[in-house]
Amino acid sequence: MATERGDILQGTLDMLVLKALQLEPMHGWGITERIEQWSESVLQLGQGTLYPALYRLERQGLIRSEWKVTENNRRARYYSMTREGRRHFGDELAHWRRMSHAVNLVLDASLKG
Amino acid sequence: MSPMTRLTAAWQWLRSIVRRNALERGLDDEMQFHLDQQTEKFIRAGMSPTDARRHAMLRFGGVARVSEETRDEIRPALLEDVVRDVRFGARLLWRTPGFALAALATLAIGIGATAAIFSVVRTVILEPLPYREPGRVVGIWETTRDGVTRNVIAPANFAEWRERSRTLEHLGMVGYDGLTAVIHGEPQKLRGLACSFDVFPALGVRPMLGRTFTYDEDYGGKAGVIVLSFEYWQTRIGARADVLGTPLATDRGPKTIVGVMPPGFTVAGQKADFFIPFAMTVAELRAYSGRGSSYAIARVRDGVTFEQAVTEMRTIFAQRVREAPELNARRTVVVIPLQEQMVGDVRPALLALMGAVGLVLLVACVNVASLLLARSAAREREFGMRTAFGARRARLVRQMLTESLVLATIGGLAGLVVATLCHRGLLALVGDRIPIPRLEQLRLDLPIVFFTMAVALATGVACGIVPAFVATQRPNETLRDAGRHGGSRRLHRVLRTLVIVEVALSLVLLAGAGLLMRSFIKLQNVDPGFRAGGVLTASVDLPSTRYDDAHGEVAFKEALTRIAALPGVISAAGASCQLVPYPCIGTSFWRVDRPKPGSGETPSSQVRPVTPGFFRTMGITEMAGRDFSDADTAGSVPVIVVSDQLVRQQFRGENPLGRRLRVGFEHVSGREDVEWTIVGVVSDVRSNLDGPMRQTIYVPRSQRPGTGMVLSVRTTQDPFVLSRRVTEIVRRIEPQAPVEILTLDTVVGDTIAQPRALSILVAVFAIVGLALAAIGVYGVMAYSVRERTQEIGVRMALGATQHSVARLIVGQALRLVLIGVAIGLGAAMLLARSLETLLYDVAPFDPWTFSGTAVLLLAIATVAAYVPARRGMQMAPTDALRVQ
Repeated sequence: MATERGDILQGTLDMLVLKALQLEPMHGWGITERIEQWSESVLQLGQGTLYPALYRLERQGLIRSEWKVTENNRRARYYSMTREGRRHFGDELAHWRRMSHAVNLVLDASLKG
Repeated sequence: MSPMTRLTAAWQWLRSIVRRNALERGLDDEMQFHLDQQTEKFIRAGMSPTDARRHAMLRFGGVARVSEETRDEIRPALLEDVVRDVRFGARLLWRTPGFALAALATLAIGIGATAAIFSVVRTVILEPLPYREPGRVVGIWETTRDGVTRNVIAPANFAEWRERSRTLEHLGMVGYDGLTAVIHGEPQKLRGLACSFDVFPALGVRPMLGRTFTYDEDYGGKAGVIVLSFEYWQTRIGARADVLGTPLATDRGPKTIVGVMPPGFTVAGQKADFFIPFAMTVAELRAYSGRGSSYAIARVRDGVTFEQAVTEMRTIFAQRVREAPELNARRTVVVIPLQEQMVGDVRPALLALMGAVGLVLLVACVNVASLLLARSAAREREFGMRTAFGARRARLVRQMLTESLVLATIGGLAGLVVATLCHRGLLALVGDRIPIPRLEQLRLDLPIVFFTMAVALATGVACGIVPAFVATQRPNETLRDAGRHGGSRRLHRVLRTLVIVEVALSLVLLAGAGLLMRSFIKLQNVDPGFRAGGVLTASVDLPSTRYDDAHGEVAFKEALTRIAALPGVISAAGASCQLVPYPCIGTSFWRVDRPKPGSGETPSSQVRPVTPGFFRTMGITEMAGRDFSDADTAGSVPVIVVSDQLVRQQFRGENPLGRRLRVGFEHVSGREDVEWTIVGVVSDVRSNLDGPMRQTIYVPRSQRPGTGMVLSVRTTQDPFVLSRRVTEIVRRIEPQAPVEILTLDTVVGDTIAQPRALSILVAVFAIVGLALAAIGVYGVMAYSVRERTQEIGVRMALGATQHSVARLIVGQALRLVLIGVAIGLGAAMLLARSLETLLYDVAPFDPWTFSGTAVLLLAIATVAAYVPARRGMQMAPTDALRVQ
């Protein structure tokens, strides 16, 4: 629980969720698993933040959802990216790269200084 | 956001509304799925199923909170929540009709009364006058340095102001005037204004038809034209456009109608049927000795401030004092914005009313708040649970606020109905009796509807916010407390505070009403110096085209003789004007046997020309000497009767009979320098009930005649019975004379109509406030008894008597009421000072009023607390214990 909200920069959560959905549609639990796995267990998403984020993204039209049956024969809501979502993700990613690069430059500079 | 995105968003939003229910149900399934997956994962990792489940739950962090927060993300949530809250609130109201009715009635009265009084304040005080740049229009008056604040001006001064002022333009005079017009053979009395031609451009108002006067028609001295008001033109002339240029037959000869003013036009709120020019040349104005009966209106020039205009006028007046000390000594000039001139007198009363309704609204607010709070006690458990399960507090507060807003909105709509009724009551109460400018324009229009609804919403928030926060605070404590007894301790504390506030507010209201009432009763019981009961008055104007003064006197004498012969008539007499509130003539005078006092030192007196028998008819005591008689004629020695006040001030113990006075008005012979011999002394008459006694001189009508007279008839029966016969007698003598019949009681009553209406209105508001406060105390005590049922049961089982239980509950209530009374008394003392200008012969800190209201409030609160206390003590202990 400690790695909830506070550790994820505001706004980056949406990006992480979109990134997780880039390859294939997934259900909510799957998304938390995928992010945990990719981040080598550093980022453990609290559900308290995930589901509001999912509903928010859906409202913004960046993702959509549909009910499907899982391999284990259970009903689950699968989220997938919309075209708008892909475009938005591309923009955000470019922005993020620029920003993190800039931040790193500053931090490195101060180290050398 | 691109337009496309926005469209998509809108579409998603619409879709999500449609899919809302499916989505909600889906959310629960989704959460469940998530938990299951997590549990399975933990089991795979080697946990026992129970541990796995527990860990999964922990990891998830409160299903209710997550779903609550997720729901908040769904765009229409807010809107839908509102709709749901509104529906929920309405349903709650529907299920508790007693509560709903009490709260709605309370709100409707509070909001409605506020809206009604505010609309009056707006119409009368706040709205700009219907003139061009109304802020620049000023009224100009003269004043003596003692006493009267605004007095009429001297035409000679006016002529100089008009010439010398550089800061003012369009200086014109305005004065009352009356005409008798004969239309279709019927004599009609018209009330109008004499206006300089400048008055219309000063106000910036153009006539609807035709034109107003020209310079030549006014200062040229030809009095031949007349301008009609729209209302007169419409009701009496039949709204014919072809009247322009035609003559109107009047008692002062034919007047050519040159124009009709637009609807609703007044000069500074004075209603007028017509406007005629003064028709005096500048030379005539300069030669005019003394003061007429007019004031002046002017417009402050562009680029000049009001203060500059005042300074300039003061300077000019100072010159005038040097130039004409006889006329102007001890006087100065008053320049006043026209709006202030119109509403200055009624403002304190209206503001007092506004304050009173404001207090009623506050009491109503507190009342509804405590009702809501007591009711919310029953729901504290519900709220506590919901909070414990993750519902956010903001959400609960929102729900409660929505409920009180629903209540207030319905209350506001009902308030509009109340406001309409209030308007009707107000107009009926005020009627034509109180000259409140512009009141006839009172209306319930869109801005007032907006105002009302805004007040309603503010009220809703105000009375919902406290219960909303109190009821949703710290659920843990709530749950714990709730286990023991109904409402939490904090809730009881707030309820008690509300009772105190309510009592304090209604005490302020009651004390204010008490002061006004007492003042009015004192005013009504002032001995006016005459007996108004049983007297009928008939104002008669003979057409001056066909009657000179001497003929007039003959006709009036004839009429009085015939009236005196009617059955039931004790006596009949005439005077040049009504006994109240204005004198017929105001003049200066001095004793012949003393040197003439210097300018500005001469005493002044009101003068009433009367016929023999006037004192007897009016019930004025003759103290010394004799009444006038038929032997006092135009040719006999000029005689006067003076009032006791005059004797006391001018003769101080000397015998006034046989002494002679010089006065500033003309004898019937046209001479002003005659000496008048005092032949009698009569008791004082108050022409203003709340004003000082004035020195009065009575002269015989025969020596100061006129073509108008007020005939007064003292009868043994209801005076109105005679009105038809009196009118017939006058008509038989002169068919073209208009007759206006009033009882003297009405004439006197009209002079105190404003304090009467004010005290009645404030008393009504105070009674409403008191009733609301009583309901509030009752409600809170009833709730408290219900809450303490168990405690009472225990006490009674342990041997407490019914009596001691009742004493306990009433005592508890009285403690609160006493605190409220103490606070209220303090607040009332602070506020009473603002009523000072409205009070007659009552100090703002009148101990009788204050202690009386405190006792009244305590008595009513005791009753309000005793009713639920009785219910408490009549419970059988076993029933009381079983309640839980």
